[in-house]
Amino acid sequence: MKKLSSTFIISILVISVILGSSLAVLAADKKVVINSYMADPAPKKTLKQLVDRFEEEHPDYEVTINTYPHEDYKTLIRTWLPSKKASPDIVTWFAGERANTFVDKDLIMPLDDIWGEGNSFEDYFPKAFKSISQFEGETYFLPQSWYWYGFWYRESVFDKLNLNEPVTWKQFLGVCEKLKENGYTPISIGSKFRWTAAAWFDYFDLRLNGADFHMKLMKGEVKYTNPKVEDVFEKWKELIDKGYFLENHTSYSWQEGAKFLFNKEAGMYLMGQFIQDVVSDEKVKKDLNFFRFPIIDASVPIAEETPTDGYMIPKNAPHPEAAKEFMHFLATEQSQRFFADKLGRIAANKNIETSQYDPMVQKGIRMINRSDKVTQFYDRDTKPAMADKAMDQIVKFMVKPGQIDQILQAMEAQRKKVFE
Amino acid sequence: MNKRRWAPFKFLLIPVILYGIWVIAPIFYTIFLSFTQWDGLTAPTFIGLGNYVDLFNDPIFYTALFNNIKWLLIYVLVPLPLGLAFAMFFNRSLPGVKIFKTAIYLPLTLSFVVLAQIWTWIYQPKYGAINVTLEAIGLGNLTVAWLSNSDIVTYALVVVGCWPQTAYTMVLFLAGLQNVPTEVMEAAKVDGANRWQRFWKVILPLLKPATIIAVAVTIIQSLRMFAIVNVMTRGGPFRSSEVLANYMYVEGFKNYSMGYASALAVILFLIILLFVSVYLYQIFKTEVEY
Repeated sequence: MKKLSSTFIISILVISVILGSSLAVLAADKKVVINSYMADPAPKKTLKQLVDRFEEEHPDYEVTINTYPHEDYKTLIRTWLPSKKASPDIVTWFAGERANTFVDKDLIMPLDDIWGEGNSFEDYFPKAFKSISQFEGETYFLPQSWYWYGFWYRESVFDKLNLNEPVTWKQFLGVCEKLKENGYTPISIGSKFRWTAAAWFDYFDLRLNGADFHMKLMKGEVKYTNPKVEDVFEKWKELIDKGYFLENHTSYSWQEGAKFLFNKEAGMYLMGQFIQDVVSDEKVKKDLNFFRFPIIDASVPIAEETPTDGYMIPKNAPHPEAAKEFMHFLATEQSQRFFADKLGRIAANKNIETSQYDPMVQKGIRMINRSDKVTQFYDRDTKPAMADKAMDQIVKFMVKPGQIDQILQAMEAQRKKVFE
Repeated sequence: MNKRRWAPFKFLLIPVILYGIWVIAPIFYTIFLSFTQWDGLTAPTFIGLGNYVDLFNDPIFYTALFNNIKWLLIYVLVPLPLGLAFAMFFNRSLPGVKIFKTAIYLPLTLSFVVLAQIWTWIYQPKYGAINVTLEAIGLGNLTVAWLSNSDIVTYALVVVGCWPQTAYTMVLFLAGLQNVPTEVMEAAKVDGANRWQRFWKVILPLLKPATIIAVAVTIIQSLRMFAIVNVMTRGGPFRSSEVLANYMYVEGFKNYSMGYASALAVILFLIILLFVSVYLYQIFKTEVEY
């Protein structure tokens, strides 16, 4: 009896090994490996749930997610993409110039055939997304979700001081003055990691010179010593000279800067929608609201920053067909809505009704719909080497606003080095 | 016989190969890369001395170099003598001496990243321990944004580094003091040398081996300082606290200028080599036997 059972077990084992390996051979083409920078708990969980849904719908597929911390990811992706052996099938990435950097080097696969019979990019995404997803006529980037920027404030503070959301520059200056008179720091900012200051630069440039000029500047086609760029700093200087910004802001990270807004020491904060992610107190979260960066010159078409995240397939992907199937799944209304809802972002898919979102998100969408142009963000629209040096100068300007000339010279020197 | 002669080399083979692959080869590869332009994606292109020319015209390079010299000078002038003083003081059996020794030694057990994080909170301009204390004792006008003020930020960072460095040199000197023979000390006492004379004429010369190591390590530590700067300021505000090691990291891994970063690495390598070899040469030239 004992002998029989052991023979039985061994044969089961042998059979299962044979079956398992042959199944693995069968399933080999239906594997998808995703390398992802969504390392924060909430997005990481959401992507996993999305993958689970896909595997339920497609039982013959096996999807693996490798998650890397955000900053490491940006370095590591440069080792995966050129590698024939280590390349994943799908990578998470940023739209616009950041995506174009890799497309330019011929490292990304075009996504021309993932849309399904008779459909194209435009059946899924708004036309405006073409400029950040298509390069030289072909689609390389699949947008997933985006968010908006705005001035965040606490409704209770504005109510108490009887303030309205300012629309024009003059009204904005009035709000700043009133906040200051009442003992608030009008504008909070945490510029330790520099990019928060770059948002200010972007917005002054967009409001004074418009998106077309701004994008030319980002692409290195315009000199930083151009008087129009000087205007940006001169306008900004008005606020600095009046002492509207938080003291010692270079000591604080963006989250630390946000605390001054949450605890009512500061009045406003120019920040992305993700500021809501870092509010721990539910009461404060309900009290937060935002308004559009005020209009300075009414003749300039309105532009807004809408950083967009999504996916690409590397040229060396070992399972491109399976990857495309998964990309198709990611583009669908259901998947896009699932992801956006869980994280309070806005789905890129255009077929999702605005009314299905949370009211705050609806307000964001309305703001963008009433804009003429969208941009990504300073360090997403220009080259990394340019962004790195320029952001130093932008922060330096905030601390030493008297040195505009030297600052413009330094930025121009870097533009020459990077683009010429 | 022949077999025996080769035996040690066979044992050495694996470590030597590993050392060659992981330590020696990368040094030469870095030197090669410093003559190229490489974004980490496409093949490197040879540009001769281009990176070095750029480097010597780069204001951030000079800021970083100058800051490294500040680190070096303060590291040699403060933690070294302080570590020696602590070692002299604790090299005796007093009640409770072990507790104090441990207390001073403790920061050395923490990683630089942890130390840097703690000190970031201590330096916080509004709620940080230093400024709050200054306010409380009526010295409010002395409060500074320690990590925001471009004139003092580097000194604020060096202070953080001095803390574990003092502990480190103390440990080195304590070990050295174990090797000072009691007979020599007693002989000096019998000959009527006072404390001061005993320290300068007997202990210090006998501590020479420990001092050599302590100075060399201090120089190297100060020149390759990375973690404290990277965690506390990332070289900011606007690069005023930049050091060579962090600049190299930023250029290579954030801006993807591997060639330029390699040129920085080579320069840093040469500087460390220069300091250490000049110093060691001086030491061995005047080596005295007791």
